[in-house]
Amino acid sequence: MRTFKLTGQIVALAAVAGLLALLVWRLTHQSHPPRIGAPAPAFSATRMDGNGSVSLASLRGKPVVLNFWASWCVPCKGEAKLLEQASRQYRKQGVVFLGVDYHDVTSDARTFLERHGVTYPTVRDGSGRIGDRYGLTGVPETYFVNRQGRLVGEHILGPITNPKWLAVFRDSIRAALDS
Amino acid sequence: MIVRLAAAAAAALVLAGPAAACAKPRTSLAYLEGQIMCPTCHTTLDQSDAPAAQRIKAHIQRRIAQCWTAARIEAELSSPAMFGPSILAAPTHKGFDLLAWWLPLAGLAAGALLVGLGVWRWTRARPQEEAAAPPLDDDAERRLDELLARLD
Repeated sequence: MRTFKLTGQIVALAAVAGLLALLVWRLTHQSHPPRIGAPAPAFSATRMDGNGSVSLASLRGKPVVLNFWASWCVPCKGEAKLLEQASRQYRKQGVVFLGVDYHDVTSDARTFLERHGVTYPTVRDGSGRIGDRYGLTGVPETYFVNRQGRLVGEHILGPITNPKWLAVFRDSIRAALDS
Repeated sequence: MIVRLAAAAAAALVLAGPAAACAKPRTSLAYLEGQIMCPTCHTTLDQSDAPAAQRIKAHIQRRIAQCWTAARIEAELSSPAMFGPSILAAPTHKGFDLLAWWLPLAGLAAGALLVGLGVWRWTRARPQEEAAAPPLDDDAERRLDELLARLD
């Protein structure tokens, strides 16, 4: 009887400890936006145009504008043209624009890119794995990465067409170029 | 007249085209809405009107119109090229995911076994405990007899 009671207690304790461990794991693994100045979270993802994949590490040495978007996102439509124009404008200075298609249907995303004439590379993030690393709260969101692979400027939470963000967008590209 | 007939036939063909693509759908949106998650709101599609959910529903409708089965649509949506396995409301029945199905059953079985064992031990222990009660010594027996006599 005593052995049985002891076994029961050990099993109950183990179950409670397991649940506590799960709670701690969950709390410590919640996604938060990375700190500006910290290294940009690394990733590698498949290109939408089918030409292999792109890793952020392979762009080291170039300033990168990282734009998270989705075809179902209405504000993303508004900023697509401006982003394309900016990518052409800053291309000569070596700035790379990289789109990350977040939680999207592939065929819809391709239609979106064609319709809005987006020519800079875009990668797929269907599972949201990359978005989680960047602590995404929605789309669109834009990050700026300098030549050393660190996040610079400001993290733009919303469309860059918003007057509030337009100046920030330009300043952040400048920061990525200069640092 | 011939031109009109040809135009009517062509129009009928065009209109009948999508329906003829799948005369007997092999699954329904209503079924799949409960099997697929909305990736942005983390509920099943039937509980979500989020833009992402709307797009996925439209995609599923297109696949149903192409006579795809539920399993094929689920496989496409959960492929790494699309949303990955997290888009499925329930884990798959293979590999590591099997644990999600079997662990609760194993837990229930273990719990039932423990309870059964406990009841068995408890019912068996009682008669033994009673039988194992130490006999009264002479002095105690004498005092007990006195007490009982007083009661009479």
